[in-house]
Amino acid sequence: MEAATRTTATRPAATQPKATRPTATRTTAIRASFGLTGATIAALAVLVALPLAFVFLQAIFPALAQGRFTEPFGHLGRTLGDPALLELTLNTLKLGACVVALAALIGIPLGTLRGLFNVPFARVWDVVLLVPFMIPPYIAALGWIMLLQPRGYVQQLVGVHAGPLLFSFGGVVFVMTLNVLPVVYFAVSRGMAASGSRLADVGRVCGGGAWRCFWRISLPLATPGIAASLLLVFAMAIEEYGTPAALAANAGFFVLVTGIERRFSEWPIDLPGASTLSLILVALAMLAFMFQRRLMRGRTFETATGKPIDVELRALGPWRLPVTALFALVALVATVAPLCAIVATAFSRTLSGGLALSNLSWVHFRAIAQTGGDAMQALGTSLALGLGAALLTGVLGLLVAYCVVKTRTRGRVLLDALAMLPNTLPGIVVGVGLILAWNQKWWPATPYNTWGILLLAYCCLLLPYPVRYAQAALQQIGDSLEAAARVHGAGAVTALVRILLPLLAPSLLAAMLLVFAVASRELVASLLLAPTGVQTVSLFIWRQFEQGSVGQGMAMSVVTVLVTTSLMLTVTLWTQRRAAR
Amino acid sequence: MQIRNSVLGLCLTLGAVVASPAANALTVYTAGPAGLAKQLADDFKKSTGITVDVFQADTGKVMARLEAEAGNPRADIVISASWDSALDLDKRGWLLPYVSPNAATVPAAYKGPSYVAQGLSALAIVWNTQSGTPRPKDWNDLTQPAFKDKVNMPDPAQSGTALELLSGLQAAQNDTAWKLFSALKANGMAIAGPNAQAMNPVLQGAKAAVFGAVDYVALGSQASGEAIEVIFPSSGTVIAARPMMILKSSKAAADAKRFIDFVLSNEGQARVAATFLVPARTDVPSRRPSVKDIKALPAENDADRAGRQALLERFSTLYQRK
Repeated sequence: MEAATRTTATRPAATQPKATRPTATRTTAIRASFGLTGATIAALAVLVALPLAFVFLQAIFPALAQGRFTEPFGHLGRTLGDPALLELTLNTLKLGACVVALAALIGIPLGTLRGLFNVPFARVWDVVLLVPFMIPPYIAALGWIMLLQPRGYVQQLVGVHAGPLLFSFGGVVFVMTLNVLPVVYFAVSRGMAASGSRLADVGRVCGGGAWRCFWRISLPLATPGIAASLLLVFAMAIEEYGTPAALAANAGFFVLVTGIERRFSEWPIDLPGASTLSLILVALAMLAFMFQRRLMRGRTFETATGKPIDVELRALGPWRLPVTALFALVALVATVAPLCAIVATAFSRTLSGGLALSNLSWVHFRAIAQTGGDAMQALGTSLALGLGAALLTGVLGLLVAYCVVKTRTRGRVLLDALAMLPNTLPGIVVGVGLILAWNQKWWPATPYNTWGILLLAYCCLLLPYPVRYAQAALQQIGDSLEAAARVHGAGAVTALVRILLPLLAPSLLAAMLLVFAVASRELVASLLLAPTGVQTVSLFIWRQFEQGSVGQGMAMSVVTVLVTTSLMLTVTLWTQRRAAR
Repeated sequence: MQIRNSVLGLCLTLGAVVASPAANALTVYTAGPAGLAKQLADDFKKSTGITVDVFQADTGKVMARLEAEAGNPRADIVISASWDSALDLDKRGWLLPYVSPNAATVPAAYKGPSYVAQGLSALAIVWNTQSGTPRPKDWNDLTQPAFKDKVNMPDPAQSGTALELLSGLQAAQNDTAWKLFSALKANGMAIAGPNAQAMNPVLQGAKAAVFGAVDYVALGSQASGEAIEVIFPSSGTVIAARPMMILKSSKAAADAKRFIDFVLSNEGQARVAATFLVPARTDVPSRRPSVKDIKALPAENDADRAGRQALLERFSTLYQRK
């Protein structure tokens, strides 16, 4: 891995106008490149910077919500002077670090096996391991509770429970890791498949042992993907509210997000305090972000040269059976177990009736059908918003990644950081930021109180996925490809669309599927931002729970997971068939 | 080109979503029960032709949205699950004074110059009848060894009603109440998030009872066949009223008043009763134990209410909440 600075010196002319005399084509290319960057910056400004700026202002000006800029920093002393703050911060870091470690421990080996070897039922595992993402975290946590608590389903079946284990720090790490596992698994498997195999084969030809080639070639080449996904996991872990609130609050383990949520729900509402805690969260994520950049600096990962990629996966040989068993085990724990609890509850007439044939009933599904189309409307709204968010973040993510990785635009680090930030913001903070930003009287028009505000919220919250995935993939694509296109007269945009996009498609599509899955079940921001009269799936489910109808909520979750899974399956199969053609 | 079109598309989409909701519609922000607000809105539209846009969340989210919107308020009417929020908004001068003619039979304790109860609920012990524990009759019974590690309580920091119970018990019994809280703590009572989160483990049987659950939700579960019983403690409990109020900033004050009248009408109160809440009006039948049948703790005075922050802090310290 040579130093990146070397490569910079030979970047294509478009970004180094002074080095060569600009020809007409090049001038256009430069303009296009600037236009691209400009548009990207503008979009990020609207989507991310604006709500974040208002959160920042709210932390400084306690009366901002009332439209006054009085008493700047009036609240800061009280919030920062709270002795619990240090503990909350340390707990948050501890939780993030442990989830990252465990997700890496499970996700990297699994992703590697999937990316490099011919794993039996590979497609099945891909789908099954995507399911945890379609189960809202609070539902998954509830599923685990009903599975493992005293008198839970496991005890009803085999007579043992794991209550104390579940309601603890370890329990939170366990459940959360299973929720975020797809991020690492997909990033690693796609990254490995794209790069690791062929060069490792070269290594083998040159006499390197299998392990040596893996450690020296495949693994290092996949680092961008691994590091990027682990950064996402860290951000998700410190941002997630439902799981720690449901599982660890009892054990006296509190994190920044629970503190933020509390300031938002405890009367009187403490907007400035919550904003200040949010900024601490953002700072933590920025540290992780800087750490990741440091880790990646001075290396290049260019492996895609445009030559036909050898997609042949290696045979597992005698390891076939153990590897299959490993995948089955992870799928069983991560997906099947919580899903079983959800399905069991959905089909139980009453929760107190337990697992009994006499308690089996369609009643909850029938109740959903009887809501007069409300449930289906909610599903439609969520799917449409998920699709919209996936498309918008996909395009934007690609643009951000391109500007950051392939251009030398000044401020691209800022662009990169800006695209990362939202993932560290709890949904409720983005929600408040968006209200503060868009409910101002001076806007001539505003998306506030329309479904557009939900789309903005989802795009803001989920932008980091496509950005991270596309960046990791872009870092593996050699500059020579684009340069070749430019030499043949293609502008920046044409090169991007015709050369880079096809190469990025698998990673980008994986990220967009994740966005779709997460957006179609997002709860916390929706709870705050839902325009009057608009209902999403998560709101529907949450209202059932609030109403004491756990069974109906779970039935709706089952329907949603079924619909989203089959939709995503269709998309995946369709793209695969297209690729095969 | 495609990319540029997409960017253009993005801008267009952002522009297109700025369509505004129906003009002249009434905007109601409400905290639960889920179906009730929608039904009231539908009924109201049928009888007056006025559209009602409903935003529904828990009290915390409703208040957070109100607070964040303070510079440019959107809501005309707020229905909260916590009486405190009405008192506080009133103190801030945000509320429009209005006494509905239909509020005549609403008891004085549940109305004020600019707020009135939509309905009432009581805080109760919810007990799993199959839990193998003796049927509790009063709060103190939950400190018995039979209930060791088997009691949940909604977090008073997240559940406004649980805080009202805490406050009501302290106001009525002072030190005795704190002995109770300490004994419950010693007996392993768990503090478990908002109301629903405290209740689910009791339904499945992981816990035997909830200390201070909102009764109407539990009555609904019981009606759908769950093996639970809702017990109103013999020493008394807190009646929690759900206040309705009109914001002073409302641009549709006349319609808002009509809506309040409608909720307090026979038809509206029947809808309220159908959700197992106690109707605010004493002359409307309820399908559950009414307020007369429940022993209520004496009402709190202003000083009691003012001390709630300190109370919550003391409780949080006792239970090591952060």
